[in-house]
Amino acid sequence: MDTTARFSDGLTAATREVRVRLSADRLALMIEGAGTDAPLRWPLGELRALPDHSRPDEIVLTHVEPHGDETQVQAARLVVSEPDAVAWLHRTRPALFSRPHRPGTARRLALYGGGALAAVVLMLFVILPALAGTLAGMLPPEREQAFGQTVLRQMERVLGAEDAGALDCSSTDGRAALDLMTARLTEGRDLAYDIDVRVFDHDMVNAFAAPGGQIVLIRGMLDLAEGRDEIAAVLAHEIGHVEARDPTRAALRTAGSVGLLGLLFGDFAGGAVMLTLAERLIDASYSQKAEARADRYAYGLLREAQVEPAALGDLFETLAGEAGEAPGALSHFLSHPRLSDRVEAARAATREDAETRPILDDAAWTDLRNICG
Amino acid sequence: MTDTPPPHPAEAPPPLPPRAAGPRYTGAPYPIFMLGLKTGLLTVLTLGIYRFWAKTRVRRYIWSSVELDGDRFEYTGTGVEKLLGFLLAVVILAVYVGLIQIGLFYFGLTLWTEPETRVEVLARSVAFLLTGAAVLPFVQFAIYRARRYRLARTRWRGIRFGMDKAAWGYAVRALGYMALTGVTLGLLLPLQTFRLTRYMTDRSWFGDTRFRQEGHWTALYGAMRQIFYAVAFGAAAALITYLLEWPLLPPLALPATGIWLVFGLFVYRVRSFAYLASHTVLDGHAGLTASPSVKTIFTRYALGSLAIGLVSSVVFGVLGGAIAIIAGGAGQMAGEDGALVGLVVAALPAMMVYLLGFVFIGAATLALISQPVLAHYVTTLTVSDADALGAVQQRTGDRGADAEGFADALDLGGAF
Repeated sequence: MDTTARFSDGLTAATREVRVRLSADRLALMIEGAGTDAPLRWPLGELRALPDHSRPDEIVLTHVEPHGDETQVQAARLVVSEPDAVAWLHRTRPALFSRPHRPGTARRLALYGGGALAAVVLMLFVILPALAGTLAGMLPPEREQAFGQTVLRQMERVLGAEDAGALDCSSTDGRAALDLMTARLTEGRDLAYDIDVRVFDHDMVNAFAAPGGQIVLIRGMLDLAEGRDEIAAVLAHEIGHVEARDPTRAALRTAGSVGLLGLLFGDFAGGAVMLTLAERLIDASYSQKAEARADRYAYGLLREAQVEPAALGDLFETLAGEAGEAPGALSHFLSHPRLSDRVEAARAATREDAETRPILDDAAWTDLRNICG
Repeated sequence: MTDTPPPHPAEAPPPLPPRAAGPRYTGAPYPIFMLGLKTGLLTVLTLGIYRFWAKTRVRRYIWSSVELDGDRFEYTGTGVEKLLGFLLAVVILAVYVGLIQIGLFYFGLTLWTEPETRVEVLARSVAFLLTGAAVLPFVQFAIYRARRYRLARTRWRGIRFGMDKAAWGYAVRALGYMALTGVTLGLLLPLQTFRLTRYMTDRSWFGDTRFRQEGHWTALYGAMRQIFYAVAFGAAAALITYLLEWPLLPPLALPATGIWLVFGLFVYRVRSFAYLASHTVLDGHAGLTASPSVKTIFTRYALGSLAIGLVSSVVFGVLGGAIAIIAGGAGQMAGEDGALVGLVVAALPAMMVYLLGFVFIGAATLALISQPVLAHYVTTLTVSDADALGAVQQRTGDRGADAEGFADALDLGGAF
């Protein structure tokens, strides 16, 4: 190893020709003519070459300096381009292109990674839900109602209706029966909203509460229910959602968390899928709590209306028989507490000695089942 | 040489004219394509984590392909610091974006009066725009930070480049000038371009020496010529349509105006860069000259896009067809549940082809568009006095706390 090379000392942007040869003890490169009195000595073990360079016929050498900047090498550069010297370096110095390890990297990665994860989890599961709750409480009821109306429109469109109200079932007797049921359930309660219940004419087995006290039963539910008490239980459950402002709260929380998750998953292929999945999982953990709360609220309403809370459990069993075959089963289990737990809870909330009476008489129940004509 | 013997041996030789030097670009298409392909695949395999190292390695290759006066530039950034910076930025942005979104949504709800479909759409788009505007300060901040990070990790002859810490100052000015450009319908675009470039250039350093932006913003109006032509063309077309009630014109003139406008912006970018770079000096040492050719750059973009489009449509058309045939065959064999089996058989390979296509196009873009365009910009630069650069002294390193994490989190890519 004896060659000429180009040298920059890392102090000024000047370059000079130097002579490079192996030291007498064969443990270092000696650089002569580098502008210092004595030749520079670069121990072989400390030599490093800059990686990923575009010209393989040239090697830019430097040497390790442990407590330096991001590179962990000295700023001085030795450019070797004489083919024999380049070949000698490749042959004898296998660790030439290894990156000097910066101490504490793993610890810093763990710290930053953990911190980032903690911040995101805190935002998604504590701060945004709390904020959503507070904001939902601050929203004037008439605004909430206007928003709920938009949600209903949206739902109607999803179910295939072109015009607003096209799905509404409105046989006079059926409406009267529905209003009677609602009145009996809410009797003596001071509710924050005027409850507005309607029935959509569609095969789907479902019921939901939109913001602002608007509750929708879908005809499939009426068809499936095995008794009037089960429908009363659904209604009581949805009133529970309305009173807890769950729909508004969920909308606000989703607005925040979708923005946040979009930022996290935005920039790689399949990001949209991850976003949807993550939002679904977060939503599930929240709606589970909300569902359990709405159930408990429903027990109270049912008891006061002299209906056994167990009716809610009966309904779940009816639903479970159906959901076993339905393709939406998985999503149902994601967003609702385990059905068997809810059935048990509903049965446990029923007192053996409580007096009961039918929520509607037989004629009114028939009217309600035929509300869609 | 011997006619007049030197009176003193130490006397300086007669001053020579400064020795100008132009950078060379030595990168080749094949190695950078392979590098892009390799690092792109690793990025996919690691669910995106490797992208910080991928970017680092591609930059190392590109920086080292630029050779000035015999010595190559180098890029010293690391993947780890980019990942750490990204994590830091994600925390700050996630908290900010989450709060802003929920706040805007609430604000939207309190304004919600008529739940009409049109209004709903309008309200949504306004909320969307507001959300976009909410991250705009961070976008500007990130642009400056990313540039500072790139400069701080660039060296030539071992000497560091660098940039002052002034990202928020930049963000405030950028928002101000953007508003001004918007209000004047683009008429003050040159002012925005010039002032923002000067803000960055005047804070950039090579070693201990500062860069300085000279020139005047009104000189950039020349670079806007094609934009004015496009606007004039559009206006003329509108006038003719209005006067002659000629219904055939708008469907032709509208897209033509649009394309011309995009072309005009492209020309503006090249020409304004040429002017601004040619009026950049390294204080007391050297000046720059830039003479990029609009035609060459346009040709490189066009040919590169064409080649990539052709190759990828052939390759992925064939692959996609093969998958469809195999899936269909599997479906047939499975009999009754054929459709479902076919879907399952097709899903995995289709996903892989999609991801491979993504990586392939990325690598091809690097090799056939980004690199050739950059090569042209680099090789049409000239440094007025190469020898004067030797006097520049080293500067201390910049820790660069968040690397370019904000730019990465906000998807402000750029080619490299």
